[in-house]
This record gives sequence, C-alpha cells and structure tokens, in this order.
Amino acid sequence: MKKIRAWIYDRLGVAELSKFGMKKEVPLHSHTIWYYTGSSILLFMGIQVVTGVMLAFYYNPTIKDANASVARIMTEIPLGWIIRSIHSWSATFMIAIVIIHLLSIAFTKAYRAPREATWMTGVLLMIASLAFGFTGYLLPWDDLSLAATKVGTDIPKSIPVVGAWVTSLLRGGEDVTGDTISRFFIVHVCVLPLAIFAILGVHLFLVQRHGMSVPLKAGHRPEKNDFLPFWPNFILRESGVWLVLFGVLLTTAIVLAPSLGPAADLMAPAPAGIKPEWYFLFMFQTLKLFPSRILGLNGELAAVAVMTVGFLLVFLLPLLDNRPAERKGRTITYAVYAAFLYTIALTVWSLL
Amino acid sequence: MKLKYSLFSRREFLNGLLGGSLLAFFATLIGPVVQFIFPPYKEPDEVKLPAADYGGLQPHEAKGFAWGAKPGILKKAGDGSLVAFVAVCSHLDCNVAYLPNDRKFYCACHQGWYDENGKNIAGPPPSPLRRLAVSVEGDSLVIKKQG
Repeated sequence: MKKIRAWIYDRLGVAELSKFGMKKEVPLHSHTIWYYTGSSILLFMGIQVVTGVMLAFYYNPTIKDANASVARIMTEIPLGWIIRSIHSWSATFMIAIVIIHLLSIAFTKAYRAPREATWMTGVLLMIASLAFGFTGYLLPWDDLSLAATKVGTDIPKSIPVVGAWVTSLLRGGEDVTGDTISRFFIVHVCVLPLAIFAILGVHLFLVQRHGMSVPLKAGHRPEKNDFLPFWPNFILRESGVWLVLFGVLLTTAIVLAPSLGPAADLMAPAPAGIKPEWYFLFMFQTLKLFPSRILGLNGELAAVAVMTVGFLLVFLLPLLDNRPAERKGRTITYAVYAAFLYTIALTVWSLL
Repeated sequence: MKLKYSLFSRREFLNGLLGGSLLAFFATLIGPVVQFIFPPYKEPDEVKLPAADYGGLQPHEAKGFAWGAKPGILKKAGDGSLVAFVAVCSHLDCNVAYLPNDRKFYCACHQGWYDENGKNIAGPPPSPLRRLAVSVEGDSLVIKKQG
C-alpha cells in the first residue's frame, strides 16, 4: 500500500504540489475578505458544470421539443425541478460574485502593475460568464426567452458594415428560429466552456505568478509575518465560506424555483413586461433611454457605441490608471464609483 | 555567390517562408468555415392565403399570417381595402401586436407605438412598419414584397 502511494506521489508530483500549497501565503490585512470571492466563483462554476451536464441528459435543443423537454425535466424527472433551479440560481450567484470580485479589485486597485494582464483576463472571464447567461436564457424556449433573445441579438445590427453580419452569425440566419436554439446550445455547452477554461487557466497562472495583491492602504505588515498559509489554514476558512454559500444556494433554489412559460411562438406578439436577466438590466434601461434619433445618428447605434466604449474602458483600466497613488489615480477611483452608481441606479430604475 | 549585404539571414528567410505558408494554408480554411456558419436565407417572394379565411374581417380589424419566419398582419383599412405589414418592430425586432380598440400597433419590448398605417408615432422605433402589397387572385390573397 505504502509502495503504491509512493509511486502515485512520485509520478504525479504530489510532493511539489503540497510544497507549493504550504509555501503559498495569503496576506492578512483589513481587506483579506475579498480574497474569498475568487474561489467562490469556482464553486459556482463547478456546480454549473455538474448540473449543466445533468440537464443536458434530458434537454432537446430543437424548436419542437426544447420547451417540452424542460417541462419534462421540471415535472417528470426525479428532482429535475431542483436541478434546473440550482443551475439557474447558481448562474445568478456566480455572476453576482464575479461582479463583487471585479469591484473589489477595482476599488483596491489590485490591477496595478504587474497585474494588468490578470485584470484583463478577468474581464474576458466576466464577458464569457455573461455570454453563458445570455445563451442559457434562450434554451427553455418560452415567450420571454424568445423576445429577450430577439432584442439581444438585434442590438449588433445597428453597427455599420458588420452589424447585420454579426446578428446573422448569432442567430444562424435572418431571424431567431430553431437554428438559433441549436447554435446557442452548442455555444453554451461546448464553445463557451472551452473558452472559459482556457482563459481561466491563464488567469490562475497569472495569480500564482504575481502572488496576491496587497491594497495600498491595507495596513499590511509583512515584517510582522502578517500571512496565512494557503494550505491548510486558508483552505479551511475557504471551505467554511463554500459550505455557507452552498447552503444559501440550495435554500434559494428550493424556495424560489424558476417557472417555465408557454412554448415560444415565432408568430405571436412579444409578451408584456419583457425583461432580461438582472445583470443586463442596466444595458436594457440605457437602450430605452436613447431616443430613436440623437444628433442625427441612429439612437440605437449611439447607445451601442456608448456601451462598447464603456466595456473597453473597463478592459483597459489598468493601462489608464498607470499612476494609482497620484491625483490621476484618485480621479479614476471617482470615475469607477460613478460608473458603479450609474449601473445600480439604472438597474433599480428598470425594476420600478 | 554570397551577397555582401542582406535584409534577412538565411534562417529568417526560411522561417518567414515556412510561417507564411502555414498562415496562408490556415487562411484558406477560413472561407469555407464562414460559408458553412451562415445558412442560406431567402425571404418569401410571395405568400398565398385562402381569401375565405380573411373574408370576415371588419374595417379596422386584423388577422395574422406567416411571412416566412416572421409574423405578418393583414388588416382591413377604414375604406375596406386590405393592407399587410411585417409585424416586426423597427427598433429591436420584437413582434408587434395590433390593438383594434386603439387602432394602433404596439411593441411590448420597449413600448413602441405605430398608428394604423404602420407609421411610428411614439417610443423608440426609428421607422415605420414594413408594408407588403396585397392583391386578390381568384380564391387567394397574394401578399408580395412591395416595390
């Protein structure tokens, strides 16, 4: 037995791994709590993979059967309703924590040199997460998901030259049809997972390469040995956080299971009160605010341009904020607060 | 013969040649892949509807039909003539509804309004609803692209 163990340890390099885990240190200071957000995202991602595979056992990505197969999961498959509910809620939790993770890094300026690329891969991961949410929303194929997808995939159309092309690429044709379901399904279960795991690999490598960032004014005292060993101390606390989050997720999923509307009808008028998922609400409200013509431009195009520039600014934040401790850095902090408040305000407004 | 000066070393030249050919090879694969991703689409040239199904329409009433994968609406105008629209909002492509009591078209996605002639009158829609031509041929109503 001992021999087998030694063989496995040697061939897999377990000793190096555990040495790495014991050597890795987590700085202890007033902002240490934010370090838990990263791994919490991983928890929900893991749950998404497991429940997603389970749902795919029964889901049929066709115009005829998509809605009925989700209904079957909800009503006939043992515990199917709860698996779907967990998948749906875990997506919400994951994106919520992605946003908290991003904000904590923005406010503590953890993106400053040498961690620019870590931030950028992080923004790409967030976009991939949002794309997961967007593609997943269509799959139950009820009236709300059809209308939301029609709007979402029509937005690029206002971009000159390539717009119509992008819309047709997303939809698999001129209109949202059965081809759109298969397209969204394969992107949701294959293309995006491959992409997110590849980017995540780079992201995690960069986190290890540069170590944990310590905020400028966190009161961290390296000389006093203000560190927590990653293994076992940090992992233990982490497990506690995971357990609590899992409990909250399970409770929410049981109490607030998502419903399923009637199967989408391509010929029916859009239902009243369509709303995208909560994380797209601020964009939804922004689109509503823009009039049809603005300064002689198409209002939709103007809204798309504003939002694209916004995303670009977020992506390039570490390069823009290259002197974080100086006046420029403080101005950028105010801008980040303003953007955050805008997002919150528009989200709340669209819910009123 | 050995040149005295050269822009490239022999290694750089060969690397460029090899790398360039590889790049060119992969570039030729992009075209077919892109072609495959976009399915052929053709809007119907015309749609034939049995006139009997739409005979009972009163002035200002409307009934739907399928214009390819898009919904269409056939409406009897106040003067008794028939008009047809592609019932898709010009803003962000949602399907619109005809509200006979208000004599207006309404898009629920972003509260867009059109009057009974399909003209955009309120909300975000930037242009009118697309109109289709209606004609009667024997027992059928023929809906065609306009113009």
